[in-house]
Formats: sequence, structure tokens, C-alpha cells
Amino acid sequence: MLQSFLSYMNSTVTPGEAGNYIWATIYILVIFAMISLCVIIMNWGERKALAHFQIRLGPMRVGPHGLLQPFADAIKLMTKEDIMPAQADKLAYWMAPYVVLVAVFTTYTVIPFGRTHAVTDMNIGIMFILGVASLEVLGIVLAGWASNSHYPLLGSLRSSAQMVSYEVAMGLTVISAIMMTSLNETGVGTLSMIGIVLAQYEQGAWFIFKFFPLGLIAFAIFAIAMVAETNRAPFDLPEAESELVAGFHTEYSGFRWSLFMLGEYAAMIAVSSVATTLWLGGWMRPFPNWLAGPTWDFIFSLFPAITFLILAGLTFYNVARMPKHPAFKIQTAGLAVFGALLGFIGLVFLIPAVRVRIFDIYWFMIKVAIFMYLYIWYRATWPRYRFDQLMKVGWKVLLPTALGVLILTAVVGVLR
Amino acid sequence: MSNSSFYETDVQRQDGTFLDANELVLNMGPQHPSTHGVLRVVLKLDGEKVLGLDCVIGYLHRGVEKIAEHRTYAQFAPYVDRMDYVAAVSNGLGYCLAVEKLIGVQAPPRAEYIRVIITELQRIASHDVWLGTHVLDVGAITPLFYTFRDREEILKIFEKYCGARLTTHAFRIGGCQYETYEGFEKDVKKFCDFVEPKIDEYEELLTGNRIWIDRTKNVGVLKGKDCIELGVTGPVLRAAGVKWDLRKAQPYSGYEKFDFEIPVGTNGDTYDRYLVRIAEMRQSVKILRQAIEGIPEGPIMAKVPKVLKPPVGEVYVSIEAPKGELGYFIVSDGSTRPYRVRVRPPSFVNLQALDKMCRGALVADVVAVIGTLDIVLGEVDR
Amino acid sequence: MSLAPLLRKVLLVDLLKGLSVTFKYQHPKEIQTEQYPMQRPEIAERYRGLPRLNVNPDNAQTLCIACDLCAIACPEHLIVVKSERNPTTKRKELISWTVDVSRCMFCGLCEEACSTDALELSQDYEFATYDRNHFILDRETLEKGTQPTVYEK
Repeated sequence: MLQSFLSYMNSTVTPGEAGNYIWATIYILVIFAMISLCVIIMNWGERKALAHFQIRLGPMRVGPHGLLQPFADAIKLMTKEDIMPAQADKLAYWMAPYVVLVAVFTTYTVIPFGRTHAVTDMNIGIMFILGVASLEVLGIVLAGWASNSHYPLLGSLRSSAQMVSYEVAMGLTVISAIMMTSLNETGVGTLSMIGIVLAQYEQGAWFIFKFFPLGLIAFAIFAIAMVAETNRAPFDLPEAESELVAGFHTEYSGFRWSLFMLGEYAAMIAVSSVATTLWLGGWMRPFPNWLAGPTWDFIFSLFPAITFLILAGLTFYNVARMPKHPAFKIQTAGLAVFGALLGFIGLVFLIPAVRVRIFDIYWFMIKVAIFMYLYIWYRATWPRYRFDQLMKVGWKVLLPTALGVLILTAVVGVLR
Repeated sequence: MSNSSFYETDVQRQDGTFLDANELVLNMGPQHPSTHGVLRVVLKLDGEKVLGLDCVIGYLHRGVEKIAEHRTYAQFAPYVDRMDYVAAVSNGLGYCLAVEKLIGVQAPPRAEYIRVIITELQRIASHDVWLGTHVLDVGAITPLFYTFRDREEILKIFEKYCGARLTTHAFRIGGCQYETYEGFEKDVKKFCDFVEPKIDEYEELLTGNRIWIDRTKNVGVLKGKDCIELGVTGPVLRAAGVKWDLRKAQPYSGYEKFDFEIPVGTNGDTYDRYLVRIAEMRQSVKILRQAIEGIPEGPIMAKVPKVLKPPVGEVYVSIEAPKGELGYFIVSDGSTRPYRVRVRPPSFVNLQALDKMCRGALVADVVAVIGTLDIVLGEVDR
Repeated sequence: MSLAPLLRKVLLVDLLKGLSVTFKYQHPKEIQTEQYPMQRPEIAERYRGLPRLNVNPDNAQTLCIACDLCAIACPEHLIVVKSERNPTTKRKELISWTVDVSRCMFCGLCEEACSTDALELSQDYEFATYDRNHFILDRETLEKGTQPTVYEK
């Protein structure tokens, strides 16, 4: 067992491909924990970013700059009374959040955070993701139906219609990306997530810039459809607060509600990862072909450490700016500890063994983080679409455009 | 018969149909994020389509009109601020004008100018609240904070002028109690310069935005004829193309001295009402600039007896409040207390158009229409 | 449709314009939040807060002449003035003065009725308490005047 544990250490493929079950299990656990951590960070980040868009400060009291707010919320949600409506369909009500959660987290098995940083590489990776992700809608419909209440019912009906119709446009743009992978000597494309990234490396361009502007349009359609897929503003109809109170999770509270939230945010990260993989070169650093060579590799591998050291520096700058009176002593100390932690992580990332393994994850997460920021930015800016308009945009604008892009991609690809 | 089934049958009666499996009765409110207080709307839905609706009001009823019968004329003035609490000053102005007409007193010119300045500031504040909450209902969560920042500047001026921010009790019968504070003119001018670019910013956020246009164009259409039949007033009426503004039609408190326009719309839909209110905010700024330039010196209080005993009689005075025609009907029996006070609140009358505007629309439109009517439940229920 | 509006529509110019507005507001100097109680609002001089009974600074005698005008002016009848005629000086003297601020709407009518500047609405706006009885303020409390909660600096 130890043998198989150690044998993988210098492998250049994912544990799934290597058939190493121990490492696969470790990867699954680490990814689950890390995604949960990302959701927590995202929770804090969204509140802060949204607050700054809205000329507010956001959480400031629980911990320095509200850093402990998500943990406080988590404790609150865990200890809250678990309410189940008397008229609810008990089994379905109980099951719904888990269906959502399982569907979302299953997609992470094939998302590659690096060449070796994925649980496994499936030759139908992208199909698997689209298939499993569409199961999420079942959980939402189940929640709406089981609550036995009007608002959740309306919310879940909206959700099912929305997700089904936007998946069509999404699928078509994914096909045009897959077609782009086949532009090599063999003329054989791939559905594997790792294969798609490697194809972008071989062709020397992210697919967003391929056949300009076809790749860009396809990416834009995917980006719009993915916002609709994850029920975020301006397509947040299933949980439209001002219309349906809280939509499909109106009757949920406490822990079950937090599972829905975890699922929603994890789904946002998942679809952003897919977008990154398909269009933005996945884990690849910028200019892997143009600025090739060990020197550039070294320079770009320093980026994670530099980022964390800059973050640490910013934190210490804020420590100096904290109000001076004694009520803030503990908060200031806490912020200093947080800064020291960030600095320590930055220093760890300088160690060559860590540096080499971490930097592809870093570039991947940076790309995903940009999507997360966009999600918040959209939410802060735009009004919400009405249901019929949402359908109109999905079927009458996105779908024909996606079809056109698909056909043009095929034509241009053949003529090339 | 339980309470809810009573209202269900009420909805059925309006359409002459009966509840069957295809129809869904949805209780919107009184606890709902976008009913602007404690309005309860019983919706009859076919899927998401609204077949009919019924407003249930009275959750905020405090009996303001009855309270008036047990207070002296001066004592009742603070209570009217509590009706439309986002435009308290306008309420106070209407009441003071009504009592002044009853006792035959005219406020001095300086008091009239101060009244115009304060009420126009209040109009901008009220429209700020409307814009923020209406846009929030339609789904954009950010403009609310921007408009409330602007409103805060107005409330700061109010606080400096009369000592209160929301329920101001700024005016008294016969004029104003408070002389302007030092730097009042400067503050108002500064506010005018501050708010105009901000209004441009809101327009940049919304006016051309395709989602906003989709959500508001041809939603909750109310034509001019229907408006007049229903007694709807204010921006809702003007957005339907009827040029009716009491500040021009029957000027009060010296409004005839100011040069401003009445913005009107054409379609009478939610988008036009939005444009009309935005234009009104600009016109208010225009009035403010003129008023602050031309403010005369002189007394701020007319000669009013300490104990008010109006002659026997009745009077109806209406003003153009931010939400529409706000009227006070006061009957005096010659004693120190009014025999009867009846308020004609704009929100209550405008709310009656909700059913007509929402038939055939979707649930999301109901929310948008409630927002665009700019109702304040304190005024609806009184 | 002419070309320019069509291009604007295809390139989502209207949506991007909105995004630019919200983006600009991220600058920290735009933040409006006031971190009460560390940061305190500026209270206007005329602010109508908790009432206060003024005393003559020279001899620490109350300025109130127990004329009862404030009690009459109060729309909610919250003020109770008790007085007694002093047999030697033949003047009315104040015995007790109470106000129930739990129902007070701070309209300022009592302040305006007062003919000697004895009654004044102060700038104190922090009167939250755990007991409703604390809202009934007597003469001693009112004469002490504004007692804002002092937070440790």
C-alpha cells in the first residue's frame, strides 16, 4: 500500500489514469475541502465586493474586516433549528439539497486544475460534466415540489425551464470548442478536459482567440449561458428575491439551506472552471509557446509566491491603518496573524518542490477568480430579466447565434 | 368561513369564474420583500399569468383622521407627517395651507419661499426613495444605495433646518416656525450641484439598459382616460400624457412665481413613469435654484392667534405631493378642534389602478407595477 | 435600423455603460458607511432629541415657572406638571415634572410653548433601554440634561 502511495509521487498523469486509488481518494477529499474553502472565501469576497460596489463597507465587525464572518454564519446555520414544513413531502424535502450537492461536486472529478491535478481524465470529460451538471435541476425541482408551497413551486418551475433551455445554447458552443480541438495533424478532436487544454497548447492559442471573432462569440454565449445555468443575476429568476421571496428554497432553513448555498457557489466555480478549460487555456500560464524556456518557466512559477507576498504586504498596510484605540487590539493582532499566514504561504510557495506543483493550480484559480468577480459585478449592476424575456433571449438570440457560430467554425475549420 | 377563503371568493367574483385546478391563488404579502410595507395582494394566477388581483389594505391603519377630531389644529400638525413618511414635509404643507385657508391667513412671502425650497427638496428625496426601491424590485440592487446617499444629503439639510430628519413637522399654521440657519442657501446650492450629475448617473445605469427597457416598456399600461376615470394623479397621470400638475393648475404657496415645466410621457407605461419622475427631479432642482436666488427678506410667520378658533365652515385644499394630489378636507364647527378631517391620499387612489394595470401580466410585472405606483402604506392605510 | 444603434446593441454598449458606473464606485473614498458607535454622526444644533429642563446657571434654580403650557401643548398629553403655591412668596413653585418619552414624537410643540426657555429638546438621541419604565423621565434626570453613553476610547 505504501508502495502504491509512493510510486505515484513522480507520475506525470492523474491518479485516475495511473490507476492509483489511494491518491485518487486523497485528491477527492482535498478537492472537496478546497472547494468548500473557496466557497467560504467567495462568500466573504462577494459580500465585500458587493458592498464596495454599493458604497458600503460590508462586514466589519466579526474579525478584522469581517474575515471571520463566513465562519460565524456557518456556525449559526449549523446550530439553527431544522424546520420541515408540516405539509412537506418529507423524503423529497430531505433529499433535494443532497441531490444538488452531489451533482455539483461530481463534476469536479474531471476538472483539471493542472496536468496531474485532477481526480481522473475521462475521454468523455466534457460530456460527463454537462450530463452530471444538468442533474442539478432535479434537486431544485424536487425542493420546490416537496416544500408544498406556492413560491417554491413557481421558483422550481422557472428553474427547470431556464436550465433546460440554456443548456442547449451552452452545449452548442461547447461543440464548437470541441471542433477546434480537432485542428491538428491527425484531425481527431477530443472530449477529454485535459486533452482540450493540451490542444490549445499545441495550437498555440486559447480557443477564445481562435478564428477571431468566432471563438470570442462562442465564449460570450457560453459565459451568458453559464450565468443562467447557475441562477445568478441577471438570470436569478428561480430565487428572485423581490418576486418569489427566495424561490425554490423559501421553505428551507439552517443547515439544509446552507447546503443549497454551498451547491450554488460550487456550481458557479464548476462552470467557471469549464469555461476556463474550454476557452482560456485551463491551467496554462500566459504565453506558454511564445515565452517558452526554463527561464520564463521560472519567472512565471514565481507568480503565486509574489501574489501571496503582495497580499501579505497589503494586510500589513491595513494593520498599520487600523484604528488605534484598545477596542481594536485583538482585531489588529488577528489581522497581523492573518498577514503573517499569507506571508508564510508565500514563502512556502518559493520552495522549488512546491513551486513546480502549485503554479498550474494558481493560474487556473486566477482565471476562475476573474469569472467570480464578473458574477458579483453583474449582480451589482443589472436588473433581472422577466421569465418570458429570459426564454426569448435563450431561444431567439443565443441559440441561433450559437448555431451560426458552430456552422461557421466548421466551415472555417475545413477550409483552413 | 376562514379569512383566506373569503378573499379567494372575492377574487373569483371579479372574473366571474371559479377556482379550478388550473388556477393558483397566491398571497403576496403582507410579509413580502417588495410590497413596500404591509400591502397584501391576493393574486389569481394561471401559471405565472395574472388573471386578477385583490388588494387587502389596512395593516397600518392608525386612525389618523379620527385622531384629528381630538386634537387642536396646531396639535394635529405632527400627525400628518406620519401618513406619507417619505414625504412628510408635503403632508405638513397641505395641512397648513388648508387650515390657513380656513382661518383666512396668508403666509408671508419669505415663509412661502422656504416652504417651496423644503418641499421641493422633499420631492427629490421621495423620488430618490421611489427610484431605489422600484429598481430594487426589478432586480438591480445597487441604485438603492446611491439614491439613499443623495437622500441623506437632503435629510441633513432638514435636520439642520428644523431638527428632525424624517417626520419633520417643519411648517406651522401661518408660516414657518424656524428661520433658515446660517449657510442654508449654500447647502441647498451645493446639493443642487451635487445631485444633477448623480441623476445623470442613474440614467446611465438604467435609461438605455436593455434589461430595464424590457422590464418596463409596455408593462402596467394605464392610458390617460383610464387614469382620469380612476382618479389617478401625479406622475402616473402625467406619464399617460395628461398635463396636470397642481403646481401649475392651481398654484399654491407662490409656485406661480417659478419657471418650470411639467414633464409628460406618452404611453403611460412603467418606463414612461420612470422618465417622468427622473425629469421631475431635474425640474425640482430648477425650482430650487430659482427659489434660493429669489428668497426675500421679511417675517416668516403671519399673525395667527394663539388659540385657533376657525369660523364654522369647511374647506378643501389640495397640493401636488410627490406621489400625486394630496387633499385635506377640514370641517370646522367653530371650536378649537376640527369637527372632521378627511385626507385624500394619492397613494390610496393610485393603488386602485393596480388591478387594471396587472391583468394579463406576469408575477414579475406585479412587483414592477407596485414599485412604479410609488405607494407608501402609511398613507394608504392612514 | 441604422448601423450605429445596431452596433451599439450587438456590442452590449448599454450594459457595459452600467458596468462602468458601478465599477467606478468601488473606490474606497466613495464609501458612505458610518461605523457607529466609533464614528458618530454630526448632530445639528436644532436637533429635537430627548427633552431637558434648564436651570439658571447663576443660582441653580429651575427656570420652570410651572405655567403648564407645555402640558397643554403636548398632542399626546405626555407631560405632567405638579406645582404648589408658596405661601410666603405667593408664587407657584414646581414640585414635579415628568414626561413619558416612550410615546413622544419629538414634534417640538412643548419647546415652542415654553415661555421661559426652561424646556428644551436636546441633542441626545441615544435613549434605548431595557425597561419601559425608564422612559418616564422625572425632573432630576431632565435637569441633569444630556447624558450620552460614553464608549471607551
